[in-house]
Parts: sequence; structure tokens; C-alpha cells
Amino acid sequence: MVDALSEIRRVLVPRGILIDMRPLADRWPVEVVSSRGSRESGRVEDLPEQVSGDVASNKTMQEVESRGWFVRESEDFFPFFYSWDTPSEMEKFVDDDWSDFIRLGEEDRKSTRSAWAVGDADSRVRIRVKILITRWKKL
Amino acid sequence: MTLQKDPERNEIKFLRKYIDLTGKRVLEIGCGEGRLTWQYAKWTGSTVAIDPDRDSLRVARVDRPYDLQEKVHLVRADSQSMPLPKEKFDIAILAWSL
Repeated sequence: MVDALSEIRRVLVPRGILIDMRPLADRWPVEVVSSRGSRESGRVEDLPEQVSGDVASNKTMQEVESRGWFVRESEDFFPFFYSWDTPSEMEKFVDDDWSDFIRLGEEDRKSTRSAWAVGDADSRVRIRVKILITRWKKL
Repeated sequence: MTLQKDPERNEIKFLRKYIDLTGKRVLEIGCGEGRLTWQYAKWTGSTVAIDPDRDSLRVARVDRPYDLQEKVHLVRADSQSMPLPKEKFDIAILAWSL
């Protein structure tokens, strides 16, 4: 990953800006949401690959900062929602597409299904993914 | 499947809060199918979006909006060895790809 940052630095103009946006493992909340509001119905479990990926990415950015390639200017977090009509659609997506890095336990599945079943007619299910955004300046 | 990704468009809101893209030469690393690219590219002077995955780029080429045909250039490349000249871009965006 340091090699990629070296390449990015090469193609940026002096004092050019690098924006790094990426999801961070944080036991993302599962929510049932309707036009009246949202409520948390469970949490995903972070698997080791997701956590180790975050650690590696953070180390990379620390490395390029220590080499004097970039300086961190600002940083923030924001939610990125994945939203489905039904809990079963969410479960299928998590099991098929995200099984390498998160897991949804049986209790969290049950509580989400229950909350959705007794919710409003327009209820949906969503996962609140935590996104880190950082602005770096090339030195 | 009724998956919606970022229906509140927080990603583009935060990107624009963090950087003024107006007229800038932008490089996006790991553009995938262009989900984020199509949201911001209209403000840039030009955009080069790279990804190593042939299938994702194929989708991106099909989905590229007509008014961005000249402005957005899609390139199959690996971030560790980019076929791009030195000091060409004002902004680089690593979107979910570090």
C-alpha cells in the first residue's frame, strides 16, 4: 500500500490534495427505519480480516506521514447507509457479499426481523456503515 | 433485491465539504463501477478514474453519463503502477480502496 501512496504522490502537483475515504470496522448498527424515525435492532460482528485491514491502512498512512510525503489536514466520520426493503434481503446480502469481514449473529437477526415485523408499513432495514474521510496535503 | 446505497447521499456531501472540485484535475483510484465518480465528476475540469478490475470498468463505461463522456477517462490500472505522467493532478481520491 505504501507503493500506491508513492505513486499517488508522484502524479499529484506540489501541495496537491489526497482524499482518503474508507469504511472502518465499528460493529455497525443494524436499524429499522421508517418515515417516523429509526431504531437500532442489532449490531454486526467485525471479523478479523476487516479489523486487520483497518490496522494495515492506518499504518500505511502513518508511514507516509512519517516519511514526510503527506500531512494530515482534517478528518471526520460520516454514516453511509446500506438499505433494504426486508430483513431477509439484508441477511442474504450480508451472507453473500460481506461474509469475509462481518457477521450478523442469530440474536441480531431475530431482533431485526421482530422490529421490522411490528414496524410501520414503510419500514426498511439498514446498516449504518462508519466512513472515515481524511484530507491530506502533499508535501 | 431492493438494495439502496447511501440514499441520503452523505458520501458526496462530505466529499464536497472536504474539497472544492471546481475545475480541478482529479484522479480517482479504485473507481469500481463509477458509483461515486458520476456524482462528482460534473464539477471537475477533468477526471481520470482507474481500477484494476476489467468487469467493473466495463460496467462503468456502459453507465457513464453522456455529458461526462469527454470529461471522465476510465483507465484499467493498478494503483502501484499508474501509467500517468508526473504532477498531473490537483486532487487524488482514494474511495474505499486503501
